[in-house]
Amino acid sequence: MASRKPQLPKSVLDMKFMKKTKERIQKELENTEDHDSLYSNIITNEMRSAAGGNYISESSFIYCEDLMDGRLSFKGMNPEIERLMELENEPLIKEEDMKKDVSDEVLAKKMEAFNQRKRPYSSPSTVAIKKKKH
Amino acid sequence: MKVVVGDVVLPGDQCEFIATIAEKSRVLLGPGLRKEVDGVFITKAGLLRRRAPNTFWVDGYQKRYIPARGENVIGLVTQKMGDIFRVDIGSSCHATLSYLSFESATKKNRPKVEIGDVVYAKMLVASKDMEPELVCVDSNGKKNRLGVLEDGFVFKCSLNLIRKILSPQCMLIESIKNEWPFELAAGMNGKIWIKAKTMRETVAVGNAILASEYLTNEEIKSICCRMY
Repeated sequence: MASRKPQLPKSVLDMKFMKKTKERIQKELENTEDHDSLYSNIITNEMRSAAGGNYISESSFIYCEDLMDGRLSFKGMNPEIERLMELENEPLIKEEDMKKDVSDEVLAKKMEAFNQRKRPYSSPSTVAIKKKKH
Repeated sequence: MKVVVGDVVLPGDQCEFIATIAEKSRVLLGPGLRKEVDGVFITKAGLLRRRAPNTFWVDGYQKRYIPARGENVIGLVTQKMGDIFRVDIGSSCHATLSYLSFESATKKNRPKVEIGDVVYAKMLVASKDMEPELVCVDSNGKKNRLGVLEDGFVFKCSLNLIRKILSPQCMLIESIKNEWPFELAAGMNGKIWIKAKTMRETVAVGNAILASEYLTNEEIKSICCRMY
């Protein structure tokens, strides 16, 4: 952690007005060292290996089996629930529509034509401005 | 004993292959698996299952519900205690449900929940050492699909059946959803609530669900055709 924090160079810390900051940094260092030594006899290697690693524990089946929501309504029994069910399915339909809208090829062609139109205009206009200045 | 995916496993069996996978990539250990210091062990009897990429769990027959965070359950309100309701969810102890965890509920505006009501709620806190806690709102404070279930009919079934009918591969709900209007709430704690227009229709949906426990998709389709 200490290595990640930006540290002031020693020459700056030695200056007179940095006295308080220097003291504070020293205190912080001492504190972290104390913590490590304080718990070193309690924290065993087993505890270190048990925490973290590549394991994620999950006590529920819903994420393992990818289950759907359990509240359902059909044929207008509960319009409120059916609206929510539709909203859940909607994003899938929208994504498909977005793909169909303008294909990459069409966009590339249009942009090419647009750039070609733009370039010939840009050079004469600058010339015209220069002429006016003269 | 060493085991592989698809085997019948018993508590105490060791999964060495999961440990080797975990050296390279992340592994999700579902219910029935536990990470100990010297390896991954099975804690439940059943079939060891795997879903891509690296999700493992034990699939066993179970009727007792063990609370798990994030699951939706059906509970019965059994007691009102000041600012909380006690809810029976079929687990080893009752769950608590605060009266403030309903949509647009304030200290002055209490939700209308009575003893004996059936609620569909989400498990917010589920730990080994504490009472489970339920909520009837999502993280945005909206009730979404949760709340008090009015009228209808509740029955119990095994936890496997709930998982079966809610799995995307199961054809049961697909087969019966076009028959007649009905509403259904399936709690992960092995309780199902059904509401239809007539008693006959309610019973038919309930029977279809209970009958589908040990049937394949084709058999489910054929019983749904014969249903009316």
